[in-house]
Amino acid sequence: MAGKIKQMIDAFVNQRAQGNSVLEGVVKIKLILKGIDPKMYTPESEDDPAIIAKLNELMHDFK
Amino acid sequence: MNIKTAFSVKTDIGDVVKDIKSQLGDFAANLVVFFASSAFAPDVIARSMNEAFPDAETFGCSTAGEIVTGKMLSNSVVAMAFNRHAIKSAKVETLEDLNADSHKVFDSFERHFNKTMAKMDPKQYVGIILIDGLSGKEERVMDRIGDFTNVNFIGGSAGDDLKFAKTYVYANGKSYSNAAVLAILEPGVEFSLVKTQSFCPLQKKLLVTKANEANREIIEFNHKPAAVAYAEALGTSVADAPNHFMHNPVGLVFEGEPFVRSPQQIKGDSMLFYCSVKEGIELSLLESTDILNDTKRALEMARSELGGISGIINFNCILRTLELRQKRLTTEYGELFADTPTIGFSTYGEQYIGHMNQTATMLVFR
Repeated sequence: MAGKIKQMIDAFVNQRAQGNSVLEGVVKIKLILKGIDPKMYTPESEDDPAIIAKLNELMHDFK
Repeated sequence: MNIKTAFSVKTDIGDVVKDIKSQLGDFAANLVVFFASSAFAPDVIARSMNEAFPDAETFGCSTAGEIVTGKMLSNSVVAMAFNRHAIKSAKVETLEDLNADSHKVFDSFERHFNKTMAKMDPKQYVGIILIDGLSGKEERVMDRIGDFTNVNFIGGSAGDDLKFAKTYVYANGKSYSNAAVLAILEPGVEFSLVKTQSFCPLQKKLLVTKANEANREIIEFNHKPAAVAYAEALGTSVADAPNHFMHNPVGLVFEGEPFVRSPQQIKGDSMLFYCSVKEGIELSLLESTDILNDTKRALEMARSELGGISGIINFNCILRTLELRQKRLTTEYGELFADTPTIGFSTYGEQYIGHMNQTATMLVFR
């Protein structure tokens, strides 16, 4: 499988930033600090279960 | 005037508090933030400042030097008082054990402001964090805060005048170590956050290929021993590399802006930093620029963005302070803040989004 991480990152950024470009930047920096660099993931990137689990956890925490 | 500052260079805590109270006069403070030299007994300064302002929430920390309107100081206490026009509401909490979960603190914030952390608008609320500067836990705490809220927390790591023995944070009359004070403020005025660091990225990239995050240790850059790779990027020897630490730290660069990670020492072939970095992160070698001009420009931008500034809290890295002292520029740096009520301190690390080094992070009020 491929591309799920990019989908999840995009969904996470949208969830947090709601279209606000300044917030988008902040959210992306937070992801980079966690070791998840949005630039590194494309629709062709392999699905890494550890990264997917982490992103699921992050989306759950922010509610 | 909705924000007022005071400071004292007296040596007896009773005299200090009397001095500060007298300067603030009958200003109706509902929040007092203070920074105190580590020369002052932490329990006593925390209790005394709290007792002096019974109608206000009080919080602060120990420092490696203080900043007040127009001046850089040592062995002093500086304080900033806010009235209800400047700060409509504030909640101060203490994370008493940095290894513990922060849910209780966030639950308290949610009860006070009657909304979830996720629903708090970062344009309406701002957070301040003051954290034990010897804990090594700043990254973890900032990471967890960021998971729960979009509210920006800005702040600094408490210092102890370069003794590196014990630092303290203060909240509502008590002092704590291995702890963090977290405060969420609902300002009554517009506010802005400033992050300024006087470095520009060079073209040399250093990919962290092996690291021990808990120890803030980078073992390998670019699959080479970290010290060797850093020295090669500089074009010098490993033996000479420590001489470049101050002027050539490394940074995570996001859209052209560096988040600085300062080298502390070479340990064998590895390098210890004042901030941890995860494996897989690409860093850039940085080169120092002009602290005075860069800080002046950052303040001008904030002033222009807000249409005026009525108060600044400045969390200024001790490494910047040491550079200013070395270059005999502390008077000039202080003077950058001469026209605006300002307090601040020399920190053992700075926080904004994450933890960083050799930076000044500032909370600026319109």
